Amino acid sequence: MATKTKGRFVDELVDLKAGQISREIFVNEEIYAEEQEQVFTRAWLFIGHESQVPKPGDYFVSCMGEESVILCRGRDGALHVFLNSCRHRGMKVCRYDEGNTPVFTCPYHGWSYATDGKLVGVPFFKDAYHEKLDKSKWGLVEVAQMEVYKGSIWATWDPAAPPFTEYLGDFKMFFDLSLEAWNGTDEPLEVIGGVQKWLIPCNWKFPAENFSGDSYHNISHRSVDMVGIGPSGTGRRDTQERADSRRLQVSFPDRGHQTGIYVLPGGSPTAASYQQSPEVADYFREAEEKRRAIKGEWGRVTGSPGEIFPNTALHPRQPRSIAVWHPRGTHQTEVWRWYFVDAGAPYAVKDFLRQYYIRYSGPGGLTEQDDMENWNYAHSASRGTIARRHPYSYEQGMGSEQTNFELDGLKIPGTVMDLTEAKSSEQNLRNFYKRWAEFMDAPNWNELAGWR
Amino acid sequence: MAEVVNVRLLKAGDKLKISHGATVVVVSNPLDGVWIFARYLTSPEEPSLEGTEDMIFAQDIIEVLEISGN
Repeated sequence: MATKTKGRFVDELVDLKAGQISREIFVNEEIYAEEQEQVFTRAWLFIGHESQVPKPGDYFVSCMGEESVILCRGRDGALHVFLNSCRHRGMKVCRYDEGNTPVFTCPYHGWSYATDGKLVGVPFFKDAYHEKLDKSKWGLVEVAQMEVYKGSIWATWDPAAPPFTEYLGDFKMFFDLSLEAWNGTDEPLEVIGGVQKWLIPCNWKFPAENFSGDSYHNISHRSVDMVGIGPSGTGRRDTQERADSRRLQVSFPDRGHQTGIYVLPGGSPTAASYQQSPEVADYFREAEEKRRAIKGEWGRVTGSPGEIFPNTALHPRQPRSIAVWHPRGTHQTEVWRWYFVDAGAPYAVKDFLRQYYIRYSGPGGLTEQDDMENWNYAHSASRGTIARRHPYSYEQGMGSEQTNFELDGLKIPGTVMDLTEAKSSEQNLRNFYKRWAEFMDAPNWNELAGWR
Repeated sequence: MAEVVNVRLLKAGDKLKISHGATVVVVSNPLDGVWIFARYLTSPEEPSLEGTEDMIFAQDIIEVLEISGN
């Protein structure tokens, strides 16, 4: 069932019937302020990964929209996500990126919170407050819902939001391509090398749109393909398995999630990869053989960039990473990128991947630099009075999407575009903005959960 | 006036004189420069606190009575 929402954004600023979107949604500061409320207080947002907080007292300072939050494992082992702001005068109670602590103490006046968020220390509690302050009412502000899904940690401020797996819907099976071990099992992943963080001068929706499935911008990466940073010494990644596969875009209109995938024909083996290192090549060959055996026909599917609405980007295959596009004002985005390896992989494999990952992604990565240059100048060239009068075009492939798509007996859920035939499509981008507009107009989750 | 105590240097076993004439022994130090975890040794104004553990605010510490041998 489609959502009922219609207002200023659906069909107006985001006019998907015409395939046009106003530049105002990227550069208008009132719209930016509105989306902090409408989108970022209601959607599920990526917080971090379990491997970052393995022990009681471990914490990782993350973000939800513009706001700093603390992901913390309490003394009892339970995970919590708290607003990083003292209840007394709002000072950050944690100013480190990560660590281990028995308490979070505000440096301003000294209020102190246990790792379960309870207020445990109030200076001069007896003399100044006469023991009358009800500490139980002044704990750290905790998210309304928090869920761990295959090691990834998610939270929302909205108690009415559906559970995270319902929020994912059938996109779950595509998200799993980023979270399962390379051999297709639930053996643990780990974050390698810390989280890269950097600023880009563009609205957060530029990268979110790009990772939703901009299949048109490959020309931007031609130089990095010529340099040959890939793990077999050519291109920017191993390309044979993609060349052997059907290239598809998959989107879920009622959820706003979308991704690219590659599907091998029935009975086809997976091409060799990681040829620059025999040890790494062997590791991936064995892992892939096991994955294909475990997953059966679904093992023919491999992942490609995708986006979980609103601001979590997936890069499941080469390199394997998750990025979050944190809004930092209308004209700036702070990118946080997590890189993943199999926790049980040999050191040589992890180190090979670490070096490949940073050649490809992040502020120094050759591929990500290409993207950032585009987003930077697209944004700045869209801010002017004249520029704002002219919408962007999102007409590519309108009306060509399919449902009930099947390839050699493998059914693909969602709305599918066949890019092997079409070369490129903006279906996934339209899907992202459709959901964004619904969030901007809808008053509550009763309207947003139109599938119920 | 007693010197300001650097609470970051306090270790488990150190004995302290604190406000209201009480004495405590340090149990652990979270090293936040603001609090220490301690157990009451004496508490003339509130004897029921003796033997209990509490968080002690840095500004409530009057002086270090004894440094532990650890």
